[in-house]
Amino acid sequence: MSMNVQPDLDFIKDIKSAGGDTLKKCFQCATCSVVCPLSSDDNPFPRREMVFAQWGLKEKLVGDPNIMLCHQCGDCTAYCPRGAKPGDVLGAIRAYTYKYFGWPAGLAKLASAGKNMPVLIGIPAVIIFVVWLISGGMTIPSAAEFARDGYGHFFGHWDFRWLAKNVFFIDLIILPTVALSIYAAYRGVSAMWQKMAEGAGVGEALYRPSVAQFVKELLWPSLVEIVQHTRFKKCVANADRIKGHLPLLLSFLALFFVTVYSAFTQDFLGIFIPSMHGPLSMWNPVKILANVGAIALIVGVGILWGNRSRMEMDGQATHTFYDWFLIWMIMGVGVTGLAAELLRLIGVASVGYVVYYLHLISVMMLFLYMPYTKFAHLVYRTFAMAFERYRDSAYVKNPLN
Amino acid sequence: MSDTAGTGAVLVVGGGMSGLTAALEAAEVGNDVYIIDKNPYFGGRVAQLNRYFPKLCPPTCGLEINFRRIKDNRKVRTYTMTTVKSVSGGPGNYEVQLETAPRYVNSNCTACGACAEACTDEIDNAFNFGMNRTKAIYLPHEMAFPRRFVLDKDACSSASLEAVKAACKYDAIDTEMQSKAFTVNVASIVWATGWNPYDPTKMDNLKFGSSPAIITNMMMERMAAPNGPTGGKILRPGDDKEPESFAFVQCAGSRDENHLEFCSYVCCMATFKQMTYIRERYPEAMIYVFYIDLRTPGKYEHFREKLMGDEKAQFIKGKVADIIAEDDGGVTVVAENAVTGAKIQQKVDMCILATGMQPALGEQGKAFGVDMDGNGFVVSDPDKGMIAAGCAKSPADVYTCGQSSTAAALKAIQIGR
Repeated sequence: MSMNVQPDLDFIKDIKSAGGDTLKKCFQCATCSVVCPLSSDDNPFPRREMVFAQWGLKEKLVGDPNIMLCHQCGDCTAYCPRGAKPGDVLGAIRAYTYKYFGWPAGLAKLASAGKNMPVLIGIPAVIIFVVWLISGGMTIPSAAEFARDGYGHFFGHWDFRWLAKNVFFIDLIILPTVALSIYAAYRGVSAMWQKMAEGAGVGEALYRPSVAQFVKELLWPSLVEIVQHTRFKKCVANADRIKGHLPLLLSFLALFFVTVYSAFTQDFLGIFIPSMHGPLSMWNPVKILANVGAIALIVGVGILWGNRSRMEMDGQATHTFYDWFLIWMIMGVGVTGLAAELLRLIGVASVGYVVYYLHLISVMMLFLYMPYTKFAHLVYRTFAMAFERYRDSAYVKNPLN
Repeated sequence: MSDTAGTGAVLVVGGGMSGLTAALEAAEVGNDVYIIDKNPYFGGRVAQLNRYFPKLCPPTCGLEINFRRIKDNRKVRTYTMTTVKSVSGGPGNYEVQLETAPRYVNSNCTACGACAEACTDEIDNAFNFGMNRTKAIYLPHEMAFPRRFVLDKDACSSASLEAVKAACKYDAIDTEMQSKAFTVNVASIVWATGWNPYDPTKMDNLKFGSSPAIITNMMMERMAAPNGPTGGKILRPGDDKEPESFAFVQCAGSRDENHLEFCSYVCCMATFKQMTYIRERYPEAMIYVFYIDLRTPGKYEHFREKLMGDEKAQFIKGKVADIIAEDDGGVTVVAENAVTGAKIQQKVDMCILATGMQPALGEQGKAFGVDMDGNGFVVSDPDKGMIAAGCAKSPADVYTCGQSSTAAALKAIQIGR
């Protein structure tokens, strides 16, 4: 049997530069596949992924659900006899996958390298600054105004009852960003799904699940598993990470709810009832949820921060821009958000406005770069878990043979 | 003991096959030789084997002739239970402080065994890796050289000590014996300090100790040896079941930067050899060998071909990374078959960890002025008269040890001449 392997050298270089520099140390002993608590008997990983990566078989890897199913527990890395750090290599392949499926490609590439940090911060900084200029709201309010309106007049104020000026400008920035982000994620995940189907030899489905069936049978169980952290709990070497990831995930859910609630009351109900605008009372249950969420977010990402630093110091993880960029972004959102609120409460408008500006930048970064950074695991891993269910389901496997 | 100063005397540290060979080669060309061993006997690891390469001889075969040569050679002075305390001076004139631990049995001993019969205390038999017990006064093994009992005084009650003393009609037992320090002057030192089996409890995922069905390859040697704890029967420790299936776990600790970074060189061949032990006793038993690569250097390749032709043996490319103790006394070994890409859970009656060679000299070697590499192997410096031999130098089979020890002797005798 002969085999013609055409290695993609650029791919190998890419993986090595993105935290997978230990890749070539692997000698295929397969310890990793056994100690991995998430690896299944039929589809063990990451040994196979390691040899594919060494050989530069890019096409096989971007369509390999195992790449996404890996939660980087680090058990493989801890037991690896060669220091090949399979956990880090799979992380680097994930980073590559987001870039590979990322659209627009230029933005995806931009968001994948630390040297682009000034541009990555610069884009939202300039956009928001320009919009702020155009809005004409760039005046620091008096103490009384600040106490009454908070950041509600950041982009100025007009007396249109049906759409507050601030809401208009915020929507002008955030809605297109979110739309782009969602579309990019949709494109990426669809392309990945197709690759995974090809890779698994699924071919033509016996019959296609309807959207409702897909959600009910494949997506929803995956989401339940994610929220319950079922797989994280199996991790041994890095068991502490769940203490950070769980509060962080719950805080995102809480803040998502708060945001949707605010958008509904301010942007929609506010059209009819202008009194809906302005800061919520500190005792409003939604505001309490928001504050709890904000603290949980900072605590959660703080735990992950400390955890990652410790792993890197112990040589159990490689320092990568890919891993840290997300931690920095989330920390940025949390700290600027909470600081802006505190500055509002103590009435320091001038500093408050600057911090609020930074908060808008970090929020926009989080949304804008979601499909290309580590944050993309939010969608890619979810759908890979759904695919894992699909692969073994009666949609593609005839139960009679 | 400084009568050898300036005469090109050689100190050989370690009295296993390598040390014996180096000592004899140096002595037989006329040099004075001191050979010391920390054990109460010479013969080292080879003495513990059932058979050894290249010709699968029992250890008596090679050791006995060396012991004979030593007894016949007045140039060699032997010291058991003796260790190096310090080394000073330089090439051509090293002053080495040695210390002999008390054996509590003097040279009157005829190895008649009356003391052991009288002794009421027992200890784990270290020679058999604790697989059986022995009296606290014992002959280390049946072909021990020197042929003299040794007393583990701390393990004995005073009544037992009295009984032991009373039983000896040669007045050979001296419970007041003290450790004895002395100095030798030598031109060069051959380090033949050998190896220890790597501690299998350090691989927590292989769960040595969780089931008596998990043994090491050296334990297997003792079990297969006619003078071993089972009299040569291969039985599962604990319940003495005759195993119907065996799994060999290669590279248990070797080629692993968390344990021994290097390849221990002998474990693949040891496994093939031990397959022959199994086949002689159990023609129908299933044998599974889990490996990363099979390393059978040089002419041993033919031996591999022969054993791989065994129809009841399976060779699986994939390292065992988990072992689960089962209720029936067996174990399940878990590996990924890297050829098929499927995970294997193989239930077997007995599992043998092919543990590797840890250099025995350890950190203390540096205090003696010995150059060591990152893994603890001795790096020879012939100009300094510090020469490594056998497994102290690098992992090797007995055959290669013979070569390196002869080479070491040749280098050693060139100092101070």
